[in-house]
This record gives sequence, structure tokens and C-alpha cells, in this order.
Amino acid sequence: MTAIAADHHELHAAPRPPARGWRRLTAAGYFRCLLTIPIFFGVGAGLMSLVRWLEGWHPVWNGTVITTISLTTIPLGVLVGIGGFDYWMRYAFGAPTAPEDHSGHGGKTWRDYFRINTDHKVIGVQYLVTTIFFLLAGGLLAMIMRAELARPGMQFVDNQTYNGLFSVHASLMIFLFVIPAFAALGNYVIPLMIGAPDMAFPRLNALSFWLLPIAGFMMLGSFLVPEGAFACGWTGYAPLCSTHQPLGAVFFQMGVQWAGASSIMTGLNFLVTIITMRAPGMTFWRMPLLVWANFTTSLLVVIATPFIAASQFFAMFDRVLHTSFFDFAQGGYPLGYQHIFWFYSHPAVYIMMLPGFGIASEVIAVMSRKPIFGYRLMALSLMAILVLGFSVWAHHMFVAGIASWLRVPMMVTSLVIAVPTGIKVFSWLATMWEGKLNLATPMLFALGFVSMFVVGGLSGIYLAAVPIDIAVSDTYFVVAHIHYVLFGGSLFTIFAGIYYWFPKMTGRMYNEKLGKLHFWLTFVGFNVTFFPMHLIGIQGMPRRVADFEPRFGDWNMLISIASFALGASTIVFLYNMITSWIRGPLAPANPWRSMTLEWQVSSPPPIFNFDEIPQVVGGPYEYGVEGARHAVFNGDRASEHEKVPVH
Amino acid sequence: MVAVGLALSAAAFAVAFFVPWLPENASKERDGIDFLFWFTTIICIGIFALVTAVILYSVVKFRARPDDDSDGPPIHGNTKLEIIWTAVPAVLVIAISIVSGVVLARNDRIPSDALRVEVTGEQFAWSFKYPDAKNLASGGVLRLPRGRPVRLLISAKDVIHSFWVPEFGQKLDALPGSVNQLKITPTKLGTYSVICTELCGVGHALMRSEAIVMPPAKFDAWLRKQRTDMGQGGETAGKAVYANNGCGACHTFRPAGSKAGVGPDLDKLPAQASRAGEPLEEFVRESIVRPNAYVEPGFASGLMPQNYGEQLEGDQLDSLVRFLSEGAK
Repeated sequence: MTAIAADHHELHAAPRPPARGWRRLTAAGYFRCLLTIPIFFGVGAGLMSLVRWLEGWHPVWNGTVITTISLTTIPLGVLVGIGGFDYWMRYAFGAPTAPEDHSGHGGKTWRDYFRINTDHKVIGVQYLVTTIFFLLAGGLLAMIMRAELARPGMQFVDNQTYNGLFSVHASLMIFLFVIPAFAALGNYVIPLMIGAPDMAFPRLNALSFWLLPIAGFMMLGSFLVPEGAFACGWTGYAPLCSTHQPLGAVFFQMGVQWAGASSIMTGLNFLVTIITMRAPGMTFWRMPLLVWANFTTSLLVVIATPFIAASQFFAMFDRVLHTSFFDFAQGGYPLGYQHIFWFYSHPAVYIMMLPGFGIASEVIAVMSRKPIFGYRLMALSLMAILVLGFSVWAHHMFVAGIASWLRVPMMVTSLVIAVPTGIKVFSWLATMWEGKLNLATPMLFALGFVSMFVVGGLSGIYLAAVPIDIAVSDTYFVVAHIHYVLFGGSLFTIFAGIYYWFPKMTGRMYNEKLGKLHFWLTFVGFNVTFFPMHLIGIQGMPRRVADFEPRFGDWNMLISIASFALGASTIVFLYNMITSWIRGPLAPANPWRSMTLEWQVSSPPPIFNFDEIPQVVGGPYEYGVEGARHAVFNGDRASEHEKVPVH
Repeated sequence: MVAVGLALSAAAFAVAFFVPWLPENASKERDGIDFLFWFTTIICIGIFALVTAVILYSVVKFRARPDDDSDGPPIHGNTKLEIIWTAVPAVLVIAISIVSGVVLARNDRIPSDALRVEVTGEQFAWSFKYPDAKNLASGGVLRLPRGRPVRLLISAKDVIHSFWVPEFGQKLDALPGSVNQLKITPTKLGTYSVICTELCGVGHALMRSEAIVMPPAKFDAWLRKQRTDMGQGGETAGKAVYANNGCGACHTFRPAGSKAGVGPDLDKLPAQASRAGEPLEEFVRESIVRPNAYVEPGFASGLMPQNYGEQLEGDQLDSLVRFLSEGAK
């Protein structure tokens, strides 16, 4: 392995000169998109019109049908234009493939971050910045919603627009922020953590990133459709979304396909990377818990995501091809949609949470200067959640009119998930116990996560207990619950991860004071915004309404004011990130004195991560153990006169 | 740490008991739900206080001094502790499962002599029918006798809706193409909101109606009166049709005693007819049968159900049109 890593530097071909003049139209890049987008659009629209003309359907040029087809053809045009398929296409057609000159590796200027790049560190940053963009977009939509909800009655938007706002808000936050933000951090950190030079499939990695902005702009772009954005919630229930809503619904159904494809590719890439590319000596029981978490998450992604793809295709076919999967009048089964949808979307809750568990484990162990408490049980509880996660989907459907016997077993399995989750929470607490706590920003966010996630988990107990769920499902209680889990849980750990690895990614330190300010603003704003939602939900305020009874007016005013403060806290975060990235103090290689491998290389890491492949010799969290090492490098070995088998 | 934990529990209990969390209890089913709610709350407060107390105590007690670069004690685990915090939560969730199962079984059991009511959801209104009383339609208002179990037969015409009355605690989706059953036993007289809780389209937030719980004798008298009113002609019949089809859930109309602002004010029908440029009676008939033909400024098109033309029988439509046109003059 050592030899291979060295070869990389010596054998690579000279970089190709950049294209000039008209050649820019054929070289991969945005200029070529000017060519490929019209070609792909034209072929799609042309074929459609030809078929309609031959069949005698009028009008031949049908805007609705063309829009639907274009949601496939234009993204393909973009991907071909920027060069996402170049290598494979040459290979497939028997043309000589471009020699790997590593011009698509590493980020030398800011321009490299706007091109196809195969370096996992560049892709990680591309991913992260893109997802934060969509976090801001989704957050702004939420601000408009809270403005409307500040007072009863209608003020700023009409009902259809409001329904579009919360639908796009949820879809962006789930499919374009939480899921890919964890993929972003994983992309950057996982190869480093396991001692690998890159992901297993760098070109696939690049492609899976570029599908994301496509999905995101498709969902955002649905606001420009004549009859408004998709307005059936991120759940897109049939038959409402399949046949009873305007064209915007297709933008959701296709957007989910692109985001889902991206997820699946990334998941596969993580699985193969983790299984095959660990450094010598890195057994499964020596992997950091974030690697374990990404491993289980990737299994969930690969197994479950095809189900949501299917549910959205079926719903879309009901509209555009006049199939009748969910049309009861034609023998369809409306509840079938929910079963297929939740068979993905419940495991998706864990896709959005397990990587956060991993980040919390890293941060809490390092910042408490203690080994993680009960390492093996921590890893096994991830696997337990993975398995149990597939047996609980119908708890989203307790009031949907499913077979009544099915509710009891689904309730029991849902409640049992509290056991492995509890193991994790108690183990984090025990890790902190008698430690030497460093309350830096990542640790604050990790602790904020533990306490807020406990609240979200406990409200989950109420929702799993069928009789209570019957009373409170589809109310603001559920809105409170999902935000405690996805904001207090996922987003807090994403913030913890961003602050924790910021020095590694940028080579500079963030401003600690601003980081702490950001934490406290977020923590207080979050609780004042979302905790009262439990109350108004139980008392009778349904979710997904632009107007409500005047008796909830005061609470909603308070919630809106707090949510604006919460929104404003993001400005502190952005300011800190941008200014620190530009002119923060240079970061040392290992500012947190961590043992895991990503901190044993320079900040930012060298282009192929490790100048020599590390030899892993122990667990990743052996803090306080006399003379313990997680890994040794050649230089260390020589000095310590140790004999370690070399691969 | 114990002190921190106790203080937190006390604070949480204070929030739980001094804030009125639960809505008014107006049904027998709500009893079980409320009991389960408090049962779960006590367990949850204990867990929340424990976790938060450990975090707060650790943050204060184990915080490293700025110059302290040493590590903590290398404790890798403790089998006894790990067994305890696996077993205790397991026992607690099993206890919650058992209580839930018992409450659910009770709330699900519908006696065979229960009063049957057909509940139908459509974009964006509820309608209610009494199959035990010659299929009398009570329109947009659900009237129930106090103390008698009711079997709601819930379905939908177009998309999925969901029937909910917070004070009754029970909720169930209305699915197109199938009938779901729900039991409610009202225990308190009063008027409650019927709320659609499943997103059903542009008018979802406005899809509301009323449930009125009446003394049994009054309920029977109301049923009888409805049946005779329906048989008569003239204004009484029109008024009954108006009430039975839930017009009053969305419209204000003084002769019928209804006050609601979702749809246009029907006391101003003549002015609206002249804006539409049509004679009053024709305008009223058209607006019932094809509500989108003329939409009053300030109101959204597509909110009013578009199938009243099929739903109302010919003479019912005639008497409703007469009632509205004459009442508004």
C-alpha cells in the first residue's frame, strides 16, 4: 500500500492545457452546457411532439408534458455538459480514456470548486457549501411562514402559496440539507479517518454531488411554475399529489428522484470505501464511531431509498401516464402510497440521525479526554437501530385507517427503539463523567444535541403510544417533535461537526467567541420556537394550515418572534465561517489533541491524504491510557524500534 | 447532582401541572387517552431530569481548567451499568405498551347498538348522514346525543381527509374508496370544532365544521323535526336544506342565524348578483351548482365544493334558492 501511494505522485501524466476559443464548446465545462442542454431538451421535446403528431393528439406542443420530460432531459444535458460522464462514455465507446493526470484532483483555486472534481476533500467542501445554501433557502421559506402565522387570519400569502412554502421548506431541509450535509462531512472525513487516499469511486462521488444542485433548484424552481410550487407537503400523499394538484407536484416527484439517486450513489461509495479501503490494522472494532455510523447509514440508504423512488414514480405515472396505482376509482389503493413511502421515510429518519450520533461520539470523547463508554455496545446499538428501523414504518399511519391489528406490533417495535437509543445517550453521559471537559463550540453543540434529542425522543414515546398518537398526530405536537429530532438532533450535530472539522478543512481556526454566541442564540431561539408547539398541538392546532383559531394567537406570535431570532443566529454563523475561512489564525494539525487519523495529517491534508499509509495498532479513543496509540507511521516505528507487520 | 435532578424534576412537574396541557375532556375515549398521557409524562419527566442533571453537573464539576492538558481516567465501560440502562428502559417501554394496548382496545370496541353516523369528507367540507334515521343528512354540522356510543363510518369522495375533534380525542383518516370506523362516546354538552387534519389541498385550513352534543331527548326531537321539515315546502324546507348541508359553516346568513367568514356574506347576495350582472334567483342557483362561475372579489376560486348540483335533489335545490333569494332581499 505504501508503494502505491508513492506511485501516485510520480506516475501521473502532465495536466492537459485548458481549452481556448471554440474548443471550449467541446471541452467539459459550463460552456459545453450551452450546447448539450438545447440538444437534450430538443431530443426530448422533439420525440414527444413526434409521437403526439403521429397519434393525432392535440395540441402537439403540450407545455405540461414537455415540462415533465424536461425535468429528466435538461439535468442530463447539464451533467453531460459539465463532464460528469466523460470518462465512462469514452470507455463505453472504445475511445482512449483520458489518462489520470489528476487535474481533477485537489482544489488549487476557488474555480476548482465549481467544476467536476474527483478529490473527496473538494467534493466534501462542495457538498457542504451547497447544503448550507439550501439550509438558508429553506430557512427563509420558514421565515415567510412564521410571518404569516404570527397572527390569525391571512396576511401575506394565500393558502396555495402557504402550502407550497411548507412543502418546499421541508423537502429542501430533508433532501437537500440534512441528508447531504451528513454525506458532506462523511465525504471529507471518512477516507481520512480510515487511512484511505480517497473514496473507492471518485468519479461516482463527483457525479453524486452534481445531482444535488439539480434536485435543489428543481424544487426551488417549482415556485416559478404557473400554478405555484408543489403544495402537498414533503410527504406528497396520493391521491392529492398524484392527481389533484397542479404541475408543480412533478417538480417534487422528479426532484426526489435526483436527490435519491445522489444518496444511493454516495451510500454505495461509503460502503465500498469502508469495507475495502481501511488502513492495515484498522479492524471493524478499531473504527471510529463516525465510520460505524456512516456504515449503518449507508446500508439504510442503499436498502430503503429505492422505495421512495418507486412511490414518487408511481404517483407521477398516475398523473402523466394515467396509470392508476393510487386512484381508487380505477381499482388503485391510496394507502399503498403511504406504506411504500414510509417504508423509506421512516428509515430516512435514521439516515438523518445516525451520522449525527457518530459526530457526537467523536466530539464528546475527544472533548472529555476519555475513551467512549461502552464502545462495542455503541456500535451494536447503531446496528440494532438499523434493523428495528425497518419494522416501524406504520407508526406514521396509526390514524390512516390501516388494519387495526397492525398498530399494536408497530407500536411495540417503535417503543423498543428507545432502548438502543437510550444506551447511546447514557453512554455519552458516562463518557463525560469524571472527564476533563473542554467546552469549545463543537462540545456545546454536542451537549445541546444530547439534551434536545432526549426531548425529541421522549415526545417520540408519546407518538408511538397509539392512543396518544390518535389524539395528537397531524397537529403542531408532531411539528414540535420532528423539529426537536431534526433541528435539535441533526442540525445541532451538523453544527458540531462543522466547527469540529473546520480547522481540518480550511487550515484555519474559527472564532471561538462567535461560535459560542452562535450556540447560545441557536439553543435559546430553538427552544422558545419549538417547545410551545407541543402545547398548541395537544390543544387542537392542526399542522399545515395558514390560518388558525384566535385562541392560539399569543403563542404563535411568541413562536414567530423567537423563530426570527433563531433565523438571525445564522448570520453569526455565516459571518464566523466566512471571515475565519479568509483570515482566521492558521490551525495546527491537531488542535483538539484527537487520536483519530484525520488529525494526524496536516490541516488541510495533503492531496492524497497520507504521505505514507498509517498502521493502525489500537482503538480510536484511548485517552488517558498510558502510551496508547491509535496508529503509527513509518517514522514513528523507526524511532520506537517496534516491529509491526508491513503490508 | 441528586439535588440538581430533584430541582429539575420539580420544575418539569410544575410546567406539567400548572400549564393546562390537555384540551377539555368531552368523551369517554378521552379518559383513557388522558390517563395514558399522564402515565407517560411521569416516566418522561424522570428520564429528562436524569439526563439533564448529569449534563449540568458534569459541565460544572468536570470542566477542565484552561492550563489542564491531562486526560480523564481511562474507563472503557461497566457491564453492570450497561445492563441496567438497557433493562430499565426496556421495562418502562413495555409498561407503556401494555397500558396503551389496553386503552386502545377499549377505545376501539364499538357496541352493536351504537348510533351510526356516516361522515364524508370532500374538498373542502364535511357532511354527516344518519343511516338509522332514514339516511337523514345533517349536512355540515354533526349533532350527537350525549352519553350514547357513536359509530362513525368515515370515508372521502376525492382525496384523503382526516376527522378530528380535539375534545373527543379520537381521529381517523377519511379515505376515498373505503370506510373506516371510529368510536366516540360524548359525555359533555357543547359545541366543538370538527377539524380536517390531513392536508387535502388549497382549502385545507378552512375545512372545519361543528360537532354539537345535545341531551338525548333534544337530539331525538331534532331528528323528528328534521324529517318533518324536509317533507314540507316553503321557507322551512329551504332553511332545513341550508342547515343540513353545512352552508352555515362557511357563510353568514341572518335568516338562518349563521355567522362565518370563509365564503361570501349571503346577506349581501343582491349586491353580488348585480356585480355578476345576473338576476338574483339565477345568480343564486348558478353559484350553488357552479360556484366558480362567478367568484366574489376577495375570495379564492375552488374553495366551495362543486357537486352540490348532484348532491341536492331538485326540489331541495329549488327551496334552497327560494330561501336564499327571499331572505336576502
